[in-house]
Amino acid sequence: MNTVIIGSGVAGVGLALELKKLNPTSEVVIVTHEGGGHYSRPLLSHGFSKADIESRIILKSFDEIRALGIEVLEKTEVLNINREMKELKILTNGIQSDISYDQLVIATGSAAAIPPPLAKYQEHFQNLNSFDDLKKLRKKREEIINSGKSPKWLIIGGGLIGCEVASDLQLAGTQAGGDQITIYHAMDRLMERQLTPEQSQKLHTHFSSLGIEIHYQTEISGIEKDETSGKIRVSEKKSPEGIDYDGVLIATGFKPRTGIALAAGLECNRGIKVNEFLTTSDPNIFSLGDVTEVGEGSLFPFILPIRNQVVWLAQYLTQKLTTPWTAPAYAPKVKIHGFKPD
Amino acid sequence: MGNTKKYICVVCNHIYDEALGDPETGIAAGTKWADVPDTWSCPECGATKDDFEELK
Repeated sequence: MNTVIIGSGVAGVGLALELKKLNPTSEVVIVTHEGGGHYSRPLLSHGFSKADIESRIILKSFDEIRALGIEVLEKTEVLNINREMKELKILTNGIQSDISYDQLVIATGSAAAIPPPLAKYQEHFQNLNSFDDLKKLRKKREEIINSGKSPKWLIIGGGLIGCEVASDLQLAGTQAGGDQITIYHAMDRLMERQLTPEQSQKLHTHFSSLGIEIHYQTEISGIEKDETSGKIRVSEKKSPEGIDYDGVLIATGFKPRTGIALAAGLECNRGIKVNEFLTTSDPNIFSLGDVTEVGEGSLFPFILPIRNQVVWLAQYLTQKLTTPWTAPAYAPKVKIHGFKPD
Repeated sequence: MGNTKKYICVVCNHIYDEALGDPETGIAAGTKWADVPDTWSCPECGATKDDFEELK
């Protein structure tokens, strides 16, 4: 029995480790487009204030995972899934090959969701969705500070990630650089999904006291690069002439990476649809983590429920359990420096 | 309870305090580190139990 897992995040690597623990002789292969190891994605939004983050964020190098008897095909794209033949066509360094599976697990996670009206400006803003994104942003920030200036950032999105990043950049700025941060939020209060109106107000007060500027119900009408200064000019309905920023970060939600599953004809909605056994519409293909939609419309994009899926699926795939997965009770933690909602 | 210890996640500095447990992840207050299941992971960053060190 061999299990192929697509993805090297908390879901994919977690599952590989558990499978190997439960059944040391099982064959487990991880296929991932990443090349820098298995890293903690939640730490990305805390990646500016910690000087040693670039080494610390790596939970396990791919070699450490290989040493446990798990095959890791890194910097590898999955081109398609052949469900009839139970094969994946993959591409590594320009070379195509096929690998076969008995069980396939899709744990491709999620990408940044870009609001459609902003998609056309994509080349001018950045995401904070991968370790590579973080490294690029840290480098950019360092260059600005080294040139003797204070980085001026615009964060589009005042949800969980946008607020965490704003908080972390502000903290980093108190150590060096004195970063100036503005948040544009399309809604009328911060983190409206996680916080009560009172808590949002409290967060607004906290951010304001730190000098973070917040604009609500914003409508962006243009983002362009000033080629001479290299700055990004953002126009909004209240400032149609545009304001210049060194960097524009977008944090407007996530989008499950369903592409490969859709192309293979698996049932997808917002995420890859699975039943209560985390099984897709193909009985040999399973899915867990950010990319997965359980039953009707339930996504679980947080560490706790994903870890719970990992432990459950490893037992299910090794026939140690036959009862369905049920979502654990959890409340996502708000990780804003110096702020407690209650 | 007495004599409880604290453990720190070396990845993100999250602290597990035996006295408090981690009710959000189903670990009751007073649970000794040794009794925290191996499958438990840091609720902040996803690091595994192996990535925690005793905080002295």
